[in-house]
Amino acid sequence: MTQPGELTYRRIHRASRELLFDCMTMPEHLTKFWGPDGTSTPINGITVDLRPGGAFETAMVNDADGSRYTMRAVYIEVRRPEKLAWTESAVEGGMTTTITFEDLGDGRTQVVTHQTNVPPIMANPDARKGFETSLRRFAEYVVQLRSA
Amino acid sequence: MTITADDQLSATFAALADPTRRAILTRLAAGEATVNELAAPFSLTQQAISKHIKVLESAGLISRMRVAQARPCRIEAVQFDNVAEWIDRHRQMWQERYDRLDAHLAELQSAPMPKESQ
Repeated sequence: MTQPGELTYRRIHRASRELLFDCMTMPEHLTKFWGPDGTSTPINGITVDLRPGGAFETAMVNDADGSRYTMRAVYIEVRRPEKLAWTESAVEGGMTTTITFEDLGDGRTQVVTHQTNVPPIMANPDARKGFETSLRRFAEYVVQLRSA
Repeated sequence: MTITADDQLSATFAALADPTRRAILTRLAAGEATVNELAAPFSLTQQAISKHIKVLESAGLISRMRVAQARPCRIEAVQFDNVAEWIDRHRQMWQERYDRLDAHLAELQSAPMPKESQ
């Protein structure tokens, strides 16, 4: 269940989950699609140590001015082909990304990306209890409030 | 985003965690209301409601007007925008990334073997 401060993004791709898992974990694939639009991610700037505790780093270079931004993460779960998770400790108080690959049985795979940026205050179970509104529903709610 | 803005966002997410507080926000979306008016639909003491209002206020989600003695509460749209912006920013990033992945997959899949005609 998605909660405020979390994001779930679902997407169906026409490919096997093995290929999708490899795309998300092999530098020769990552270099083709990883960085945001307007940046490139050179293959020699990608570190993949594919094991729990191993480094996952991508240096993204801005095409316009050459400035670099490096994402530094550590894998926390590596289970080809169904699940991949990493955590970025330096981002917004700690951001964890979990990707699950679901075989739809017809040559397609649903990729579910779940990103949490749970603030430290959420470690308190009482504070966490009430977190039930999905982020998508919450976003709609915000829109409602804004148009009210 | 600065540390301060992150902390504010954390407080906002925490404030939104509670169903009573979300109900209060829904009521305030319809217009300003006093603490008494906000307490009416709940089986809670006015003191308990005041506590929720304080949390919402320090999270920047509502403000209290100083004009009348009853100090009516109202929604602060700016903080809702910050939450929506966080969501949008991250969703957009993944959407674009998977768009590029699809393009990469199409290239991979068209290269090794000719496509079957449907």
